[in-house]
Amino acid sequence: MRRLFFIIFSFATSVAWAQSPARVNHGSFTGAIGSGQGSVAVEYFHNWQLGQSKKFEVGLGGRLTSYFGSNQYYSSAPASLAGDETKTDSLLMASAQMNAVNLAINLGYRFSPKFGVGFNIDALGFTFGGSKEGRYLNGNQGQLVEGKPTSFNVLLIGNNDRGTLNSEFYARYFFNERWGIKLAYQYLFTEYTTDVAVQQQPEANDRFRNKASMVSIGVTKVF
Amino acid sequence: MIRLLAISVILLLASCQPEDATPTGPVNDMFDASTATLLREGMWMGANNYSVAGSAKLYQQSDGTRVLVLDMFTSSNGPDLRVYLSTDVAASSFVNLGKLKSTNGQQVYTIPAGTDLNQFRFALIWCQQFSVLFGKADTQ
Repeated sequence: MRRLFFIIFSFATSVAWAQSPARVNHGSFTGAIGSGQGSVAVEYFHNWQLGQSKKFEVGLGGRLTSYFGSNQYYSSAPASLAGDETKTDSLLMASAQMNAVNLAINLGYRFSPKFGVGFNIDALGFTFGGSKEGRYLNGNQGQLVEGKPTSFNVLLIGNNDRGTLNSEFYARYFFNERWGIKLAYQYLFTEYTTDVAVQQQPEANDRFRNKASMVSIGVTKVF
Repeated sequence: MIRLLAISVILLLASCQPEDATPTGPVNDMFDASTATLLREGMWMGANNYSVAGSAKLYQQSDGTRVLVLDMFTSSNGPDLRVYLSTDVAASSFVNLGKLKSTNGQQVYTIPAGTDLNQFRFALIWCQQFSVLFGKADTQ
């Protein structure tokens, strides 16, 4: 999916510069909720409208995402461990909270001046937040450990991602030229790094990731 | 747009379903104490306004396996209740013996081979999902 996104994004940006596109700037504030978790995000995108009818949008921007989770399971994050249940252990965070600032990419399509859909994703940034206690679960054994949000965020291919990265599939409706409402499916990665490499088998690991699927709603302002 | 909002409300409601509670029907795991050696025992006490009662007994059986037996046991109900052997009542380091089979009755839980019982003084009834202590038994 992400590979396809990058291909489309590369193609669209090359077309954008070739066609002297119109520019539209959006700012949005969204709130998302899922099972025992939620997030609020503020984002700003500088979008280029492409094509003869200016229906395609490609944008670059930034996003601040604050995540709140209660009793959330995090699993081994490194690509060499993630995705293989025999290699992954869990970190159960009774209370998770972190804030991420990321550069982000947007792709959109406007069916009409009032209605459009799109996808955006964080690409690079940093995360801050306090240390929290969690319980590391390894088979039938467990122990209390301290973890803090992984500081550096980067979007890569597959499970090589690192840190807190937000993404949305959204539909947006504009009430007028300035204001719109956005409804989205939000897929948010958050990550904790434990104080010590608490997982030792099959290799030492201190990074644990949660993948949150949430529904979000927000308002958009055109600048 | 109204349809999209309706779908989002449905998704939100679906994401807030309560956790499954622990079974309440009485269980009566068979255990012959006359062929086993009692290692340690303690009485259950409730915690955090939850009620847990009965005894917790650690036995070594004739084949060398060790078990935790909950006898005359009753507990308040809750989601995702587990039976732990723990170093303390905060579950700082523990062995998970499994999901609590029922809130009532005699129950037997096998202790994994290789577990150093000297490290684990307490038996706990612990809500894993919400990290809440329901009951403890000091078996020292």
